[in-house]
Amino acid sequence: MPEPALFQLQGAGVRFGSIRALTELDLDVGWGERVAVIGPSGAGKSSLIALLNGTLAPTDGQVRVLGRDIAAASGRERRGVQRRLGTIHQQFHLVEQLRAVHNVNAGHLGSWSTARAVLSLLAPRDVGRARQALERVGIGDKLYEHTGNLSGGEQQRVAIARVLVQRPAAVLADEPIASLDPARGREIMDLLHEISRETGTTLLASLHDVDIALERFERVVGLREGRIAFDAAPAALDPAEIEALYALERGAP
Amino acid sequence: MTPPAQTETGQRVPEPDRRLPDLSLREAAGTGARHGRSLIRRSWVVLAVVGTLASLIAAGVGQDRTVNAGGLPLVGDFFAAALRPRLDADFLALTANATLTTLGYAVLGTALSLVLGLVGGVLASQTWWRSATRRRRGIRMAGWGMTRTALVVPRGIHEVVWGLFFLSVIGIEPIVAVLAIGIPFGAVTAKVFSEILDETPQRPYTALLAAGSGRGAAMLYGLLPPALPDMLSYSFYRFECAIRSAAILGLLGVGGLGYELSLSFQALLYQEIWTLLYALILLCGAADLWSSAVRARRMAPRRPGSRTSRVVIGSLLAAIALLPISAWIVQLDLSVLGEAGTRELTVQMLGDSWPPDLPSGGWTELLQLAAGTLAMSVLAIALAFLGAVVLAFPAARMSRAGGSPAGRAARLLMIAATRGLLLVLRAIPPPVWALLFLFVLFPGILPGALALGVYTLGVLGRLMAESAENLDDRPLQALRAQGAAALQVFCYGVVPAATPRFVAYGLYRWEVTIRETVVVGVVGAGGLGLLLDQQLATFDYGGAVATLLVFLGLTLLVDLTSAAVRRSLHT
Repeated sequence: MPEPALFQLQGAGVRFGSIRALTELDLDVGWGERVAVIGPSGAGKSSLIALLNGTLAPTDGQVRVLGRDIAAASGRERRGVQRRLGTIHQQFHLVEQLRAVHNVNAGHLGSWSTARAVLSLLAPRDVGRARQALERVGIGDKLYEHTGNLSGGEQQRVAIARVLVQRPAAVLADEPIASLDPARGREIMDLLHEISRETGTTLLASLHDVDIALERFERVVGLREGRIAFDAAPAALDPAEIEALYALERGAP
Repeated sequence: MTPPAQTETGQRVPEPDRRLPDLSLREAAGTGARHGRSLIRRSWVVLAVVGTLASLIAAGVGQDRTVNAGGLPLVGDFFAAALRPRLDADFLALTANATLTTLGYAVLGTALSLVLGLVGGVLASQTWWRSATRRRRGIRMAGWGMTRTALVVPRGIHEVVWGLFFLSVIGIEPIVAVLAIGIPFGAVTAKVFSEILDETPQRPYTALLAAGSGRGAAMLYGLLPPALPDMLSYSFYRFECAIRSAAILGLLGVGGLGYELSLSFQALLYQEIWTLLYALILLCGAADLWSSAVRARRMAPRRPGSRTSRVVIGSLLAAIALLPISAWIVQLDLSVLGEAGTRELTVQMLGDSWPPDLPSGGWTELLQLAAGTLAMSVLAIALAFLGAVVLAFPAARMSRAGGSPAGRAARLLMIAATRGLLLVLRAIPPPVWALLFLFVLFPGILPGALALGVYTLGVLGRLMAESAENLDDRPLQALRAQGAAALQVFCYGVVPAATPRFVAYGLYRWEVTIRETVVVGVVGAGGLGLLLDQQLATFDYGGAVATLLVFLGLTLLVDLTSAAVRRSLHT
């Protein structure tokens, strides 16, 4: 039996009251694929990521992750799926008051028992792996630093280390470099790619920066007003198509 | 005494661009400083535990002479009466009257404190002195320093002590309660207003000054409008506090709910006590709701072009209308202030009170009582802090994804129940709690500590619940998105983010609690408050001043400790 696609969206849509954030999305993402999602602000990129990691339930259609319909799954089943998805956010979303080691270890929460998780807050467990992960992202010396004291680039690295420890099947990145300066952003992007290649992890990133998307990803999905405008390899994309994505209004010159 | 709501600056969103410059500073600070700070923090924790244990020993916990088992049936009777309050028409009319009187005192006291606070606030602000003395830095610092210092004494003396003082020079008059609330509250308000003024952007003000307008006018046009919303929200918070104070002052005999409560307590008429307590809980609950409605409107982000909320305008009009009504209800008579007798008594009292005089036991007695008072405050805040931590989370409305309708209903019920419990705990004033504990405990530190602790638990629990509701939700969402269970999200996300705020609130309430030990002392629970009450009752003003000075020293000690701990919280 062939393995099901990692993410399968069938006519999936999200409405907030009367506002349609996403409309009739059909999308399959396979194992090990590296996909960039681009589109103007408000196109629904963040909603798509939230839909894929189970934070947001679809109001229409179906979202299957690892073959499971997560809207219909029980809490335990949903957490079982979520434990295999790592998400990285634009604003890092780390607990700033904790030391870096605990934020990294939070990657274990899906698999650790609660007792173990609580004990680890008192005396960190699995320090070896946390240190390895931080060394992998280049900040091994910040293991016991309070996360709030780290710079933006360092915090994003802690978030990536958390994903490394989690060893997910897919990494979802919501504007991972939009809060960083260009040089720092490029480093983070390189890191995400290397990790994806080394471990065969699927990478799906929403991006502001079209150049990085075209340059680094094998597949680019264009979102506009909550719909998929195109879904193709960069080489197959017409520059006019991309320009139309960001044009002020549909049909405007 | 700033309410924490004023010092909280909402959610902190990391902004990498703004964080970059100070990165080098942080690195320069190095790891040595980091470990040093964490060591200091740990020492504070150890000190807190040791201090609490020492206070337990000082309070005589575990010894024979603490529990009065004979009083237990009385407590049973008392709580049994909760279901059968006295509800006949006569007593309800009396209760309504007393409630209105307490409300009237609170309104008038707040009004006085706002007048004092506005004048004092301007005079105590650096902004005012800076523009008054542009080039003479020495005069500026001296003037500012002197006004700030002048505010310390009225602020440090509790409403009840002010009340006892005015009672002895004026006698039982409504104005006593108004002055007793207005003066200390005025001094606190002045301090907070001056800080608000100094934190308000100064450019519009200096621009007006540069354009040649007078200082008063420049303040009115350039400084007050942006500062007004904060000052308004603080005023409503003060009003909320004034209601509790007015009830307590009633115990001294000036009338209102506190007075009726003390009468019913003396006669052990529990059913009457409960009627009065229910009235007090309703009054406090209503004031809480009103004040938080106004402040919530204030905190909500304002869209450009939107007008001031109707709630705020309506509340302002209602507050102004309440002034003359209150004066009429409490039969305010200002003429007593000008009477010759009042003046003579004041002069005589001031003459008697200097030089300060030690109590019969000398320094030993005074210092022993001071240590006992300190222990009382430590035990009270330890009890309140632990209890509030336990109750704050079930009382908080925290957004949580999903859940069945039955689960949601259960959660709402739990929130309502915990909030109700917290409201009852803080609506019953500490002296009333103390009278209750004195049924089963012998007079001393312990009943006072329990009374203050239970009351502070009600206040602190609400503060903590509100702060838990305001936590940044995004890190929690991120933890949930990777499959963490609810309890794990709580331990890794909620607890670390909430802890510094909770500790800060606990310290702030400790500063308040050491001042409030006077209140439970007055009903005989012990400590310096009891001595002060006895000295004032026997017209030993010299002794009272000495006690008061020691007490001020004690509050200063607590304030300094609290400030030091708070500093170590900032990483």
